[in-house]
Amino acid sequence: MRNIPYVDLRRQHVPIKDEILRAVGRVIDGAAFILGEEVEKFEQKVAEYCRTKYAVGVNSGTDALFLSLKAYGIGRGDEVITVPNSFLATASSIVAVGAKPVFVDVGDDMNINPDWVERKITRSTRAIIPVHLTGRPVDMDPIMRIARAHNLIVVEDAAQAVGAEYKGRKVGSIGDCGCFSMHPLKTLNACGDAGVITTNDENLRNSLVQLRNIGLKNRDESDTWGYNSRLDAIQAAILTVKLKYLDLWIEQRRSNAKYYIQHLGDVVRVPEDGGDDRPVWHTFVIQTELRDELQGHLELNGIGTRIHYPIAIHLQRAAKSLGYREGDFPVCERQAQTILSLPVYQELTRDELDRVVDTVTSFFNARNRSVSEPRLVAAKAAE
Amino acid sequence: MKTMSAMKVEFSYLRRQFGQARRGEDPGRFYTDRIIEDIRDFVETADFTLGEKLEEFESKFSELVGVKHSIGVNSGTDALILSLKALGIGPGDEVVTSAETFIATAGAIAATGATPVFVDVNDEFIIDADLIEQAVTERTKALLPVWFTGNAPDMARINEIGTRYSIPVVEDSCCAIDAAIDGRKAGSFGITGTFSFHPLKNLNVWSDGGMITTNSDLMNEKLRLLRNHGLINRDEVAVFGVNSRLDTIQAVVALRMIDDVASITDQRIANAAVLDRAFSELPGCIEVPSRAPNVRHVYHLYMVRAKDRDNLLKHCIENGVEAKVHYPIPLPYQQCCRHLGYKRGDFPKTERDCGSIITFPAHQYLTDEELHYIIDVVRAFYGDNWR
Repeated sequence: MRNIPYVDLRRQHVPIKDEILRAVGRVIDGAAFILGEEVEKFEQKVAEYCRTKYAVGVNSGTDALFLSLKAYGIGRGDEVITVPNSFLATASSIVAVGAKPVFVDVGDDMNINPDWVERKITRSTRAIIPVHLTGRPVDMDPIMRIARAHNLIVVEDAAQAVGAEYKGRKVGSIGDCGCFSMHPLKTLNACGDAGVITTNDENLRNSLVQLRNIGLKNRDESDTWGYNSRLDAIQAAILTVKLKYLDLWIEQRRSNAKYYIQHLGDVVRVPEDGGDDRPVWHTFVIQTELRDELQGHLELNGIGTRIHYPIAIHLQRAAKSLGYREGDFPVCERQAQTILSLPVYQELTRDELDRVVDTVTSFFNARNRSVSEPRLVAAKAAE
Repeated sequence: MKTMSAMKVEFSYLRRQFGQARRGEDPGRFYTDRIIEDIRDFVETADFTLGEKLEEFESKFSELVGVKHSIGVNSGTDALILSLKALGIGPGDEVVTSAETFIATAGAIAATGATPVFVDVNDEFIIDADLIEQAVTERTKALLPVWFTGNAPDMARINEIGTRYSIPVVEDSCCAIDAAIDGRKAGSFGITGTFSFHPLKNLNVWSDGGMITTNSDLMNEKLRLLRNHGLINRDEVAVFGVNSRLDTIQAVVALRMIDDVASITDQRIANAAVLDRAFSELPGCIEVPSRAPNVRHVYHLYMVRAKDRDNLLKHCIENGVEAKVHYPIPLPYQQCCRHLGYKRGDFPKTERDCGSIITFPAHQYLTDEELHYIIDVVRAFYGDNWR
């Protein structure tokens, strides 16, 4: 039986390879490798897709966050509120501008718990970075309410969530700006690092355009220090090709997730389907106390899984100077022990989905003869 | 002055290197088809981030420069920023560098939070080693000499100063791939060397790209962490880092060209020699800087000083010679440097240069006809003045 790897980028690229190469060829023929038309075209299409006025292409999702904070003048002495269960880059971009990340625990949906945000606000707080983790939109209404009441910037970390919708609005269009990654493992993925920032704020857009290009106002003059963080024209051309397929891919992922929820909901704790919102399932994360055993069982049966992420940011060695301890964020820390990401990519076949379902089910059936796993979702459904 | 018969000598050679223009005409130099073939295979492997091809390119680049380690990063600017960060440089520190360089040299220093301290140049557009020592203070944490235009700073002197004051030397060798002093390559003198593969460099990729070279195992280890979020492995983080990786797809592009770097560079040097000879015959109009015989100047920019520069520039453009000025405003007087408190007169040579320098195309694809056309256009501008 063929293995089911956790990711299989080859399956995504084989059918669209010719189209990608044609796009690359177009850039080569024009020999405009830095910024220029291809980048502008992609920016315009992303802005349209996210329903914002502007989009600015940069070198990575990390840089999207970093440059947004910079453009808002956030730096030394400032605090930025975010979550400890994201990919490291959310926090490191705050550190990179010289500010201090202040963490807030998450809820059952693995996203920032709005109830905890307000008590973390101090006189130094300048911004909130809610993370649409796993591709599920954060409950943005309370976040925006708190932010407006305290005059804080909201930078959406939508690195995993392109295409997700909250109450009918695209993520990246709700806060002051949205930061996206197009890393190869994302649903809208470049063939290398890439990122983009969406915003309706013209001033922000103008600052970002200058900051990403070494602070240059024009070829010869600069009035501010900047960075070199441009979206490559080649990657922009590739991404423009892929953007056409994005909604198709997202729908396939949603259908895969729905299948898992239907068929695993009685066996293990699965995420909620999102109701009126549109989660895009960058990852499909189940939770079980028997996580490590289940992962081993799936591995033995040729099914790849991942843990996003096993060590919370506040417990990393790099975060030592921030002074957090184990126990500070109990929900996040507990989830770090129980979460497991199943393959959910758009190319999975029904047979493969069934194999994942059967393998997970057989694991718990064997266990359940002796151990009883809490069936939270089933219990909830019965309420 | 009459307008000369129409010919167009472009500054950028990218269309000739990669575009349709030379297909069939000069297949030996035509990389695109082969690279596209390589990319076709590469895309199928989907090995996009810190992949095998990047490692292969890094090791070939180490061979080229003659160092132990090469670390691929997102740009030449990032190569500088990460080098300084790896040395622990930050707010309150000072870094001594040249007043005549691209903005990114100083921008990289500012990006770490440190303060750029500028030193004037010699007659060859290169940091004046005699002036470095007086710029050193207790807060100086690095010397950052620039191989501007592809020409060499006095690295022996600068390393000696660095050793005496225990200050590390980082080379801004972004313009100087394959440049050398007495056969020793740029990027092998300092604690790190920094390179750019921006499309107009003599080893170029199809986007931004950069590389750091070092003989230090410790720096190598730190830099590999820093460029990749500080990740020791998938799940553990040693330090807060950044995302600054050279795209593996760009390593695929570079691997097709790295073996040709020496011959590309030789061609630029030969072109520069032709221009040097011709311009030397225009004393009082064009001032060709002296060329040190032991230096392999790679002419990323072919730059001379010219009388009545602005009008010469205009004349060249009108006649289809795409000359440029690198750069018209002294870096210490840019608006972004205002808080540093420099004033007119602080950098006399840099100021003189900004008013008089002009850069001519000297790239490897120029034909003899084009080279002579450049010379003719310049001669025509000065008319009888030069005889």
